[in-house]
Amino acid sequence: MDSLSTRYLRAKKIPSTACGGCGLGQVHKKILMAMDELALGVGDVVWGSGIGCAGRQTFNTWKGDNFAGTHGRVYAIATGLRLALPEDKKIIITSGDGDAFGIGLSHLLHCARRNVDITVIVADNLGYQSTGGQYGYTTPLGFVSDSSPYGAIEQNWIQNGIDILDVLRAGGATFLARHSSLEGYDAVKSVKAAIKNVGFSLIHFIYPCVSHFGPVSLKTRDIDRIFHWFKGIFEAGGVFGENFKSGIFHDAGNSRPEFASSLRSQRAEVEAGHLR
Amino acid sequence: MMARRCEITLDADGCKGCGYCETVCPMNVYERGAFINERGYTPYRAVRPELCVGCMQCYYVCPDFCLDVTPDEVSR
Ligand code: SF4
Ligand code: SF4
Ligand code: SF4
Repeated sequence: MDSLSTRYLRAKKIPSTACGGCGLGQVHKKILMAMDELALGVGDVVWGSGIGCAGRQTFNTWKGDNFAGTHGRVYAIATGLRLALPEDKKIIITSGDGDAFGIGLSHLLHCARRNVDITVIVADNLGYQSTGGQYGYTTPLGFVSDSSPYGAIEQNWIQNGIDILDVLRAGGATFLARHSSLEGYDAVKSVKAAIKNVGFSLIHFIYPCVSHFGPVSLKTRDIDRIFHWFKGIFEAGGVFGENFKSGIFHDAGNSRPEFASSLRSQRAEVEAGHLR
Repeated sequence: MMARRCEITLDADGCKGCGYCETVCPMNVYERGAFINERGYTPYRAVRPELCVGCMQCYYVCPDFCLDVTPDEVSR
Protein backbone atom coordinates (compact mmCIF):
# COMPACT_ATOMS: atom_id res chain seq x y z
CA MET A 1 0.00 0.00 0.00
CA ASP A 2 1.15 3.57 -0.59
CA SER A 3 1.34 6.15 2.20
CA LEU A 4 -1.99 7.77 1.24
CA SER A 5 -4.01 4.57 1.35
CA THR A 6 -2.24 3.43 4.52
CA ARG A 7 -3.55 6.56 6.22
CA TYR A 8 -7.15 6.28 5.02
CA LEU A 9 -7.97 2.72 3.91
CA ARG A 10 -8.19 -0.66 5.61
CA ALA A 11 -5.17 -2.85 4.84
CA LYS A 12 -7.25 -5.99 4.51
CA LYS A 13 -9.25 -4.39 1.69
CA ILE A 14 -6.32 -3.16 -0.40
CA PRO A 15 -5.60 -4.13 -3.08
CA SER A 16 -9.28 -4.43 -3.88
CA THR A 17 -10.77 -7.40 -5.66
CA ALA A 18 -11.13 -5.26 -8.82
CA CYS A 19 -9.60 -6.75 -11.96
CA GLY A 20 -5.95 -5.85 -12.60
CA GLY A 21 -5.99 -2.67 -14.70
CA CYS A 22 -9.49 -1.60 -13.63
CA GLY A 23 -9.48 2.20 -13.48
CA LEU A 24 -11.75 2.42 -10.47
CA GLY A 25 -8.81 2.69 -8.07
CA GLN A 26 -7.68 5.78 -9.98
CA VAL A 27 -10.96 7.47 -9.03
CA HIS A 28 -10.67 6.20 -5.46
CA LYS A 29 -7.17 7.64 -5.17
CA LYS A 30 -8.24 11.10 -6.37
CA ILE A 31 -10.87 11.26 -3.64
CA LEU A 32 -8.24 10.43 -1.02
CA MET A 33 -5.84 13.02 -2.46
CA ALA A 34 -8.57 15.66 -2.24
CA MET A 35 -9.35 14.73 1.37
CA ASP A 36 -5.67 14.82 2.22
CA GLU A 37 -5.32 18.33 0.75
CA LEU A 38 -8.40 19.46 2.67
CA ALA A 39 -6.78 18.05 5.84
CA LEU A 40 -9.78 15.78 6.45
CA GLY A 41 -9.17 12.89 8.81
CA VAL A 42 -10.76 9.47 9.08
CA GLY A 43 -13.22 10.84 11.65
CA ASP A 44 -14.37 13.71 9.44
CA VAL A 45 -16.00 11.68 6.67
CA VAL A 46 -18.77 9.09 6.44
CA TRP A 47 -18.37 7.09 3.25
CA GLY A 48 -21.29 5.41 1.51
CA SER A 49 -21.18 3.10 -1.48
CA GLY A 50 -23.67 1.91 -4.05
CA ILE A 51 -23.92 -1.43 -5.84
CA GLY A 52 -21.94 -2.73 -8.82
CA CYS A 53 -18.20 -2.60 -9.44
CA ALA A 54 -17.93 0.94 -8.04
CA GLY A 55 -19.79 0.04 -4.85
CA ARG A 56 -18.19 -3.32 -4.29
CA GLN A 57 -14.62 -2.13 -4.75
CA THR A 58 -14.95 0.89 -2.47
CA PHE A 59 -17.28 -0.61 0.17
CA ASN A 60 -15.78 -0.75 3.64
CA THR A 61 -12.34 0.28 2.41
CA TRP A 62 -12.62 3.55 4.38
CA LYS A 63 -11.13 3.30 7.88
CA GLY A 64 -13.84 5.55 9.30
CA ASP A 65 -17.62 5.19 9.39
CA ASN A 66 -19.08 3.77 6.21
CA PHE A 67 -22.17 2.08 4.84
CA ALA A 68 -23.52 0.43 1.72
CA GLY A 69 -26.84 1.35 0.19
CA THR A 70 -29.17 -0.97 -1.63
CA HIS A 71 -29.06 -0.52 -5.40
CA GLY A 72 -29.87 3.11 -6.26
CA ARG A 73 -30.95 3.94 -2.71
CA VAL A 74 -27.68 5.14 -1.24
CA TYR A 75 -28.67 8.78 -1.98
CA ALA A 76 -31.83 8.49 0.10
CA ILE A 77 -29.92 6.89 2.97
CA ALA A 78 -27.34 9.68 2.75
CA THR A 79 -30.13 12.27 2.97
CA GLY A 80 -31.26 10.71 6.24
CA LEU A 81 -27.70 10.69 7.53
CA ARG A 82 -27.30 14.33 6.54
CA LEU A 83 -30.23 15.20 8.78
CA ALA A 84 -28.88 13.15 11.67
CA LEU A 85 -25.17 14.02 11.57
CA PRO A 86 -23.41 17.22 12.67
CA GLU A 87 -23.17 19.65 9.76
CA ASP A 88 -19.37 19.59 9.61
CA LYS A 89 -19.29 15.82 9.00
CA LYS A 90 -18.67 15.19 5.28
CA ILE A 91 -20.69 12.55 3.46
CA ILE A 92 -19.07 11.07 0.37
CA ILE A 93 -20.75 8.48 -1.85
CA THR A 94 -19.09 6.31 -4.47
CA SER A 95 -21.51 4.69 -6.87
CA GLY A 96 -21.64 3.64 -10.48
CA ASP A 97 -23.37 4.71 -13.68
CA GLY A 98 -26.10 2.10 -13.37
CA ASP A 99 -26.77 3.00 -9.75
CA ALA A 100 -26.77 6.79 -10.20
CA PHE A 101 -28.00 7.39 -13.74
CA GLY A 102 -30.49 4.52 -13.99
CA ILE A 103 -31.69 2.55 -11.01
CA GLY A 104 -31.29 5.37 -8.49
CA LEU A 105 -31.83 8.37 -10.76
CA SER A 106 -35.04 9.45 -9.07
CA HIS A 107 -33.41 9.39 -5.63
CA LEU A 108 -30.42 11.25 -7.04
CA LEU A 109 -32.60 13.96 -8.57
CA HIS A 110 -34.48 14.50 -5.33
CA CYS A 111 -31.14 14.98 -3.55
CA ALA A 112 -30.25 17.62 -6.15
CA ARG A 113 -33.64 19.32 -5.80
CA ARG A 114 -33.30 19.47 -2.02
CA ASN A 115 -29.64 20.50 -2.33
CA VAL A 116 -28.60 17.92 0.26
CA ASP A 117 -25.00 18.48 1.37
CA ILE A 118 -23.41 15.31 0.04
CA THR A 119 -20.71 14.61 -2.54
CA VAL A 120 -21.57 11.89 -5.04
CA ILE A 121 -18.74 10.41 -7.07
CA VAL A 122 -20.18 8.48 -10.00
CA ALA A 123 -17.50 6.05 -11.17
CA ASP A 124 -18.69 5.20 -14.68
CA ASN A 125 -17.45 2.08 -16.48
CA LEU A 126 -19.79 2.68 -19.44
CA GLY A 127 -22.22 -0.13 -18.74
CA TYR A 128 -23.23 -2.93 -16.41
CA GLN A 129 -19.82 -4.53 -16.11
CA SER A 130 -20.08 -6.38 -12.79
CA THR A 131 -22.91 -8.47 -14.24
CA GLY A 132 -20.96 -9.43 -17.34
CA GLY A 133 -21.01 -6.36 -19.57
CA GLN A 134 -24.53 -5.32 -20.57
CA TYR A 135 -25.10 -1.89 -22.10
CA GLY A 136 -26.24 0.84 -19.73
CA TYR A 137 -26.97 4.57 -19.62
CA THR A 138 -23.58 5.76 -20.84
CA THR A 139 -22.55 3.00 -23.26
CA PRO A 140 -21.60 4.75 -26.53
CA LEU A 141 -24.17 4.35 -29.31
CA GLY A 142 -23.33 1.58 -31.71
CA PHE A 143 -21.02 -0.21 -29.29
CA VAL A 144 -21.26 -3.92 -28.86
CA SER A 145 -21.94 -5.31 -25.40
CA ASP A 146 -23.25 -8.56 -23.99
CA SER A 147 -26.82 -7.31 -24.46
CA SER A 148 -26.25 -5.35 -27.68
CA PRO A 149 -24.46 -7.85 -29.93
CA TYR A 150 -25.21 -5.76 -33.05
CA GLY A 151 -24.42 -2.42 -31.37
CA ALA A 152 -26.30 -0.33 -28.81
CA ILE A 153 -29.24 1.51 -30.38
CA GLU A 154 -30.72 2.96 -27.19
CA GLN A 155 -29.99 6.67 -26.67
CA ASN A 156 -27.72 7.09 -23.65
CA TRP A 157 -27.41 9.99 -21.19
CA ILE A 158 -24.26 11.60 -22.62
CA GLN A 159 -24.44 11.77 -26.40
CA ASN A 160 -26.28 13.59 -29.22
CA GLY A 161 -26.96 16.75 -27.23
CA ILE A 162 -28.39 14.91 -24.22
CA ASP A 163 -26.41 15.26 -21.01
CA ILE A 164 -27.24 13.86 -17.60
CA LEU A 165 -25.33 16.79 -16.04
CA ASP A 166 -27.82 19.18 -17.71
CA VAL A 167 -30.62 17.21 -16.09
CA LEU A 168 -28.95 17.44 -12.69
CA ARG A 169 -28.26 21.15 -13.13
CA ALA A 170 -31.90 21.77 -14.00
CA GLY A 171 -32.82 19.66 -10.98
CA GLY A 172 -30.93 21.99 -8.64
CA ALA A 173 -27.45 20.49 -8.15
CA THR A 174 -25.02 23.16 -7.00
CA PHE A 175 -21.71 21.62 -8.12
CA LEU A 176 -21.15 19.37 -11.13
CA ALA A 177 -17.96 18.22 -12.84
CA ARG A 178 -16.83 15.57 -15.27
CA HIS A 179 -13.44 13.88 -15.56
CA SER A 180 -11.64 10.77 -16.67
CA SER A 181 -9.95 8.64 -14.02
CA LEU A 182 -6.78 9.01 -16.12
CA GLU A 183 -6.50 12.73 -15.42
CA GLY A 184 -4.17 14.26 -12.88
CA TYR A 185 -4.44 17.18 -10.51
CA ASP A 186 -7.39 18.90 -12.27
CA ALA A 187 -9.59 16.03 -11.18
CA VAL A 188 -8.35 16.31 -7.58
CA LYS A 189 -9.19 20.03 -7.63
CA SER A 190 -12.76 19.27 -8.71
CA VAL A 191 -13.18 16.72 -5.94
CA LYS A 192 -11.94 19.30 -3.44
CA ALA A 193 -14.42 21.89 -4.72
CA ALA A 194 -17.21 19.32 -4.60
CA ILE A 195 -16.46 18.42 -0.97
CA LYS A 196 -16.24 22.09 0.00
CA ASN A 197 -19.61 22.95 -1.53
CA VAL A 198 -22.26 22.96 1.19
CA GLY A 199 -24.93 21.43 -1.02
CA PHE A 200 -25.41 18.69 -3.58
CA SER A 201 -22.24 17.97 -5.56
CA LEU A 202 -21.64 15.30 -8.15
CA ILE A 203 -18.61 14.34 -10.18
CA HIS A 204 -18.98 12.07 -13.18
CA PHE A 205 -15.75 10.07 -13.54
CA ILE A 206 -15.32 7.81 -16.55
CA TYR A 207 -12.87 4.96 -15.98
CA PRO A 208 -11.58 1.98 -17.98
CA CYS A 209 -13.14 -1.45 -17.51
CA VAL A 210 -10.49 -3.82 -18.83
CA SER A 211 -12.37 -7.07 -18.40
CA HIS A 212 -15.63 -6.41 -20.27
CA PHE A 213 -15.70 -3.02 -21.98
CA GLY A 214 -12.13 -3.49 -23.26
CA PRO A 215 -12.39 -6.94 -24.81
CA VAL A 216 -16.09 -6.84 -25.82
CA SER A 217 -16.70 -3.22 -26.83
CA LEU A 218 -13.19 -2.10 -27.82
CA LYS A 219 -12.16 -5.58 -28.97
CA THR A 220 -8.87 -5.46 -27.11
CA ARG A 221 -7.30 -6.51 -23.84
CA ASP A 222 -4.18 -4.47 -24.55
CA ILE A 223 -3.74 -2.00 -21.69
CA ASP A 224 -2.01 0.58 -23.90
CA ARG A 225 -4.89 0.62 -26.40
CA ILE A 226 -7.52 0.75 -23.67
CA PHE A 227 -5.61 3.57 -21.96
CA HIS A 228 -5.39 5.62 -25.15
CA TRP A 229 -9.04 5.08 -26.08
CA PHE A 230 -10.15 6.37 -22.67
CA LYS A 231 -7.62 9.22 -22.84
CA GLY A 232 -9.20 10.22 -26.15
CA ILE A 233 -12.73 10.56 -24.78
CA PHE A 234 -12.31 14.29 -24.13
CA GLU A 235 -10.13 14.97 -27.17
CA ALA A 236 -11.06 15.82 -30.76
CA GLY A 237 -12.81 12.85 -32.34
CA GLY A 238 -13.83 11.45 -28.94
CA VAL A 239 -16.69 8.97 -29.01
CA PHE A 240 -19.19 11.24 -27.21
CA GLY A 241 -18.68 14.20 -29.54
CA GLU A 242 -16.99 17.58 -29.56
CA ASN A 243 -18.99 19.07 -26.70
CA PHE A 244 -18.03 16.34 -24.27
CA LYS A 245 -15.44 18.10 -22.11
CA SER A 246 -13.73 17.43 -18.83
CA GLY A 247 -13.66 19.97 -16.02
CA ILE A 248 -16.14 21.84 -13.87
CA PHE A 249 -19.56 21.79 -15.55
CA HIS A 250 -21.58 23.89 -13.12
CA ASP A 251 -20.51 25.74 -10.01
CA ALA A 252 -23.26 27.46 -8.09
CA GLY A 253 -21.55 26.66 -4.82
CA ASN A 254 -23.44 27.81 -1.74
CA SER A 255 -26.04 29.68 -3.84
CA ARG A 256 -29.15 27.86 -2.61
CA PRO A 257 -30.31 26.87 0.89
CA GLU A 258 -29.07 23.46 1.94
CA PHE A 259 -31.74 20.99 3.02
CA ALA A 260 -30.50 19.96 6.47
CA SER A 261 -29.51 23.48 7.49
CA SER A 262 -32.94 24.79 6.46
CA LEU A 263 -34.54 22.15 8.63
CA ARG A 264 -32.21 22.94 11.54
CA SER A 265 -33.03 26.66 11.29
CA GLN A 266 -36.73 25.99 11.26
CA ARG A 267 -36.46 23.68 14.24
CA ALA A 268 -34.61 26.39 16.17
CA GLU A 269 -37.40 28.84 15.34
CA VAL A 270 -40.05 26.37 16.51
CA GLU A 271 -38.12 25.63 19.72
CA ALA A 272 -37.76 29.34 20.40
CA GLY A 273 -41.53 29.72 20.09
CA HIS A 274 -41.31 31.95 17.02
CA LEU A 275 -43.39 29.61 14.87
CA ARG A 276 -46.75 28.22 15.97
CA MET B 1 24.33 21.12 -9.44
CA MET B 2 20.93 20.67 -7.79
CA ALA B 3 18.72 18.23 -9.62
CA ARG B 4 15.36 16.74 -8.85
CA ARG B 5 15.51 13.18 -7.74
CA CYS B 6 12.69 10.99 -6.58
CA GLU B 7 12.52 7.95 -4.48
CA ILE B 8 10.14 5.37 -5.96
CA THR B 9 8.61 2.71 -3.72
CA LEU B 10 6.63 -0.02 -5.44
CA ASP B 11 4.76 -2.48 -3.23
CA ALA B 12 5.14 -5.68 -5.26
CA ASP B 13 2.62 -7.56 -3.08
CA GLY B 14 -0.13 -5.08 -3.98
CA CYS B 15 0.79 -4.57 -7.65
CA LYS B 16 -1.59 -6.20 -10.14
CA GLY B 17 0.83 -5.96 -13.04
CA CYS B 18 -1.47 -3.81 -15.15
CA GLY B 19 1.34 -1.80 -16.72
CA TYR B 20 -0.21 1.68 -16.65
CA CYS B 21 2.94 2.95 -14.94
CA GLU B 22 5.01 1.81 -17.89
CA THR B 23 2.48 3.29 -20.35
CA VAL B 24 2.58 6.79 -18.85
CA CYS B 25 6.21 7.12 -17.72
CA PRO B 26 8.03 9.44 -20.14
CA MET B 27 11.41 8.32 -18.81
CA ASN B 28 10.98 4.57 -19.26
CA VAL B 29 11.54 3.87 -15.57
CA TYR B 30 9.30 0.78 -15.30
CA GLU B 31 9.44 -2.76 -16.61
CA ARG B 32 7.44 -5.88 -15.94
CA GLY B 33 9.17 -8.00 -13.31
CA ALA B 34 10.10 -11.65 -13.57
CA PHE B 35 8.24 -13.27 -10.66
CA ILE B 36 4.62 -13.95 -9.77
CA ASN B 37 3.39 -12.54 -6.45
CA GLU B 38 1.12 -14.26 -3.94
CA ARG B 39 -2.01 -12.93 -5.62
CA GLY B 40 -0.94 -14.38 -8.94
CA TYR B 41 0.14 -11.14 -10.62
CA THR B 42 3.47 -10.28 -12.19
CA PRO B 43 4.45 -7.01 -10.51
CA TYR B 44 6.24 -4.21 -12.29
CA ARG B 45 9.57 -2.87 -11.11
CA ALA B 46 11.17 0.58 -11.17
CA VAL B 47 14.31 -0.56 -12.99
CA ARG B 48 15.68 2.91 -13.89
CA PRO B 49 14.63 5.09 -10.92
CA GLU B 50 17.58 7.43 -11.46
CA LEU B 51 15.89 8.71 -14.65
CA CYS B 52 12.72 9.79 -12.84
CA VAL B 53 11.85 13.48 -13.27
CA GLY B 54 9.08 13.49 -10.69
CA CYS B 55 6.19 14.16 -13.09
CA MET B 56 3.94 11.98 -10.88
CA GLN B 57 2.02 10.53 -13.82
CA CYS B 58 2.66 6.98 -12.61
CA TYR B 59 1.38 7.90 -9.17
CA TYR B 60 -1.88 9.33 -10.51
CA VAL B 61 -2.52 6.40 -12.82
CA CYS B 62 -1.67 3.45 -10.53
CA PRO B 63 -5.08 2.04 -9.62
CA ASP B 64 -3.94 -0.17 -6.78
CA PHE B 65 -2.33 2.16 -4.28
CA CYS B 66 1.06 0.49 -4.56
CA LEU B 67 3.29 3.35 -5.75
CA ASP B 68 4.89 6.16 -3.80
CA VAL B 69 6.99 8.76 -5.59
CA THR B 70 8.69 11.04 -3.12
CA PRO B 71 10.45 14.07 -4.57
CA ASP B 72 13.74 14.92 -2.99
CA GLU B 73 16.17 17.76 -3.83
CA VAL B 74 19.68 16.37 -3.83
CA SER B 75 23.04 17.25 -5.34
CA ARG B 76 24.16 15.34 -8.37
S1 SF4 C 1 -15.46 -5.85 -14.41
FE1 SF4 C 1 -14.56 -3.99 -15.30
S2 SF4 C 1 -15.26 -2.28 -13.99
FE2 SF4 C 1 -15.61 -4.21 -12.86
S3 SF4 C 1 -13.78 -4.52 -11.56
FE3 SF4 C 1 -13.39 -5.60 -13.50
S4 SF4 C 1 -12.36 -4.11 -14.85
FE4 SF4 C 1 -13.30 -2.97 -13.15
S1 SF4 D 1 7.20 10.33 -11.64
FE1 SF4 D 1 7.14 10.51 -13.91
S2 SF4 D 1 9.25 10.14 -14.55
FE2 SF4 D 1 9.10 9.44 -12.43
S3 SF4 D 1 8.67 7.26 -12.58
FE3 SF4 D 1 6.68 8.31 -12.42
S4 SF4 D 1 6.01 8.64 -14.52
FE4 SF4 D 1 8.21 8.16 -14.59
S1 SF4 E 1 0.28 0.93 -12.34
FE1 SF4 E 1 0.46 0.22 -10.20
S2 SF4 E 1 -0.62 -1.78 -10.16
FE2 SF4 E 1 -0.25 -1.26 -12.32
S3 SF4 E 1 1.70 -2.29 -12.81
FE3 SF4 E 1 2.22 -0.20 -12.20
S4 SF4 E 1 2.65 -0.31 -9.98
FE4 SF4 E 1 1.55 -2.20 -10.57
